[in-house]
Amino acid sequence: MSDHHGEHSISYGLYFKVWAWLLVLTALALGVGYAPLNETIKAFLLVGTTLLKILVIAAYFMHLRYERINLILVTFAPLILVIIMFAFTYPETLGNATHVLQVR
Amino acid sequence: MDSSIAEQQRILASDWGGGKSPFGTTWSKFMMWIFIISDALTFAAFLIAYGFMRNISPAWPKQTEVFNMVLITFMTFVLISSSAVMAMAVAAARAADPKKAFQFLVLTIVGGVIFLGCQAYEWTHFIEEGATLTHNPFLPEVPQFTSSFFVITGFHGFHVLSGVVILAIVALRAAMGKYSGDGVENAGLYWHFVDVVWVFVFAFYYLL
Repeated sequence: MSDHHGEHSISYGLYFKVWAWLLVLTALALGVGYAPLNETIKAFLLVGTTLLKILVIAAYFMHLRYERINLILVTFAPLILVIIMFAFTYPETLGNATHVLQVR
Repeated sequence: MDSSIAEQQRILASDWGGGKSPFGTTWSKFMMWIFIISDALTFAAFLIAYGFMRNISPAWPKQTEVFNMVLITFMTFVLISSSAVMAMAVAAARAADPKKAFQFLVLTIVGGVIFLGCQAYEWTHFIEEGATLTHNPFLPEVPQFTSSFFVITGFHGFHVLSGVVILAIVALRAAMGKYSGDGVENAGLYWHFVDVVWVFVFAFYYLL
């Protein structure tokens, strides 16, 4: 099977740029981690920087940007399942959750 | 009769008609993506279980005081850098430059080994402080803190170790001239995935 698309045209310079951005985002996440913020805001900011980082890694390092839309959509499958999994478990932790802590 | 043959050809030529891969990749690359998706779900399960345990815990130790954050940040830096170098190795392999590909692959492996060394140091330190799967010396009423630490970083560390082994094989093959751009790229996809998982662990286990 032939590999179409212009992967040959990707230069090392682009990877350097992506690497620099990833370091900036890591520094940002570190700053958020230490900032005296409300827990919820902190969580949202960390989810934001993390999603940005994985999108950058997937798009450029994993070449997803240059793949066909069919493959890109397949890679979204876990995200949907994760949202379902989270939606099922998270409400259980709300309110007084001691009923799940009857271990000891 | 003619029309049915034309119809068959039209179907075969379409994306999902079975005549060609709808994904436009080699089979090996597609299988690597399928593996990555299933592996992502494994880690997702770990992280969601961790979030669940943390949400129902009455308290949680302050990670920035328990862990050496300089070391963790350094580990993150090393893994992201090795991921960038890996992307360059793939580009070199695609450009049919085995010598450069080999050099980049060796650099990637060095990054992985440094990461594993730091993790071994971190684990040793943590265990010396009295942490086990079921006992948390920093806040004894929440053993979930140390159990999730050992399970999540342990699984991730084992993925890094497997990645180093795979990359070593790919690098050796590149040195022998028996490499292919596809082979290097598949190993690279796995390595970037390991990096992606660490991004999550770093943000949600160490920083949140």
